Amino acid sequence: MRTMKVKLGTDVLKDNNLAAAYNRKLFRANKTLVINIMSSPGAGKTTLLEETIKALRQDFTVAVIEGDLATDRDAERLRSLGIKTIQINTVGGCHLDARMIAKTLPEFELEAIDILFIENIGNLVCPSGYDLGQDSKVVVLSVPEGNDKIPKYPVMFRRTDLTVINKIDLLPYVPFSVEEAKQDLESINPAAQLKVLSAKTGEGLDDWINWIKDAYVQCIKR
Amino acid sequence: MHEMSLMSEIIEIVSADAAARGFKKVNRIEVIVGDLSNVLPDALELAFLFFQRQEGGMIDGDSTLHIIREEAKAQCSACQFEFQPDYRIALCPICGSPGSLLVSGETFRVESYEGSDEDNES
Repeated sequence: MRTMKVKLGTDVLKDNNLAAAYNRKLFRANKTLVINIMSSPGAGKTTLLEETIKALRQDFTVAVIEGDLATDRDAERLRSLGIKTIQINTVGGCHLDARMIAKTLPEFELEAIDILFIENIGNLVCPSGYDLGQDSKVVVLSVPEGNDKIPKYPVMFRRTDLTVINKIDLLPYVPFSVEEAKQDLESINPAAQLKVLSAKTGEGLDDWINWIKDAYVQCIKR
Repeated sequence: MHEMSLMSEIIEIVSADAAARGFKKVNRIEVIVGDLSNVLPDALELAFLFFQRQEGGMIDGDSTLHIIREEAKAQCSACQFEFQPDYRIALCPICGSPGSLLVSGETFRVESYEGSDEDNES
């Protein structure tokens, strides 16, 4: 009997990383800016997307991939704005992976899309581990959740390029320190940007929209 | 996380390589799990129990899973001090500079396996 030890050194997520590289190549070839938006459930990703789309749609062609465990309620909300939206239902799956994204891409005319938003599953753990081929990762943290979400989920906040603090219209009513959030974010991910806004009232939204526009300029220069 | 599907990826990676080398059975799998990889070693072990009971694969009740923990380590880019970070991964405990970089702790890798070309009964 032959028994042998074989050294592999293979990343467990190698198949995901291959699919992400394939997606990224397609996005770059078509000069499509892709933003992967993550948060816990209920932080306001879809509302932020609705207001973002309203601010961008005159100047840009926008599309959305919506991730949810079940229903296409979020996709319907965005479609009612006249935006091409593909819903992915993971049926219990806790994150989107690059293969799921790759499967939806034939449904888009990427060369005509300037900005593609991917709304990930509401979860601050698993989505952080999966490269989807995006240009930027954004995490949304809402004021009622408390600013200690940042130290509690350091891996997520470390792996994102920008943190949005949403629902700041609720700051007078709930304990949330924007200053502490800034300090914690800096001690975990000093390169990360921070935008503080309310998607509902529109306060601070311009700063976020300008960040997307700048990212788009960088994207088409490549 | 979702260790069942991660364990399934591990078994696929190992089984594909083992089949290509003509092995019939996988006796042992060695996996490196970083403390900041968001992967739970206990849940991986539980998932492995499930695969041990599956018929027809290269894993059986005698196969073992060996998990090697990789500690999180960061190095300050200002004073070069190396430390084991708490949640403030980028903050140097000596000079207070927030520019520290992770040196280790994010790995999630199938390191090696042991294959044999006959199963136990033969």
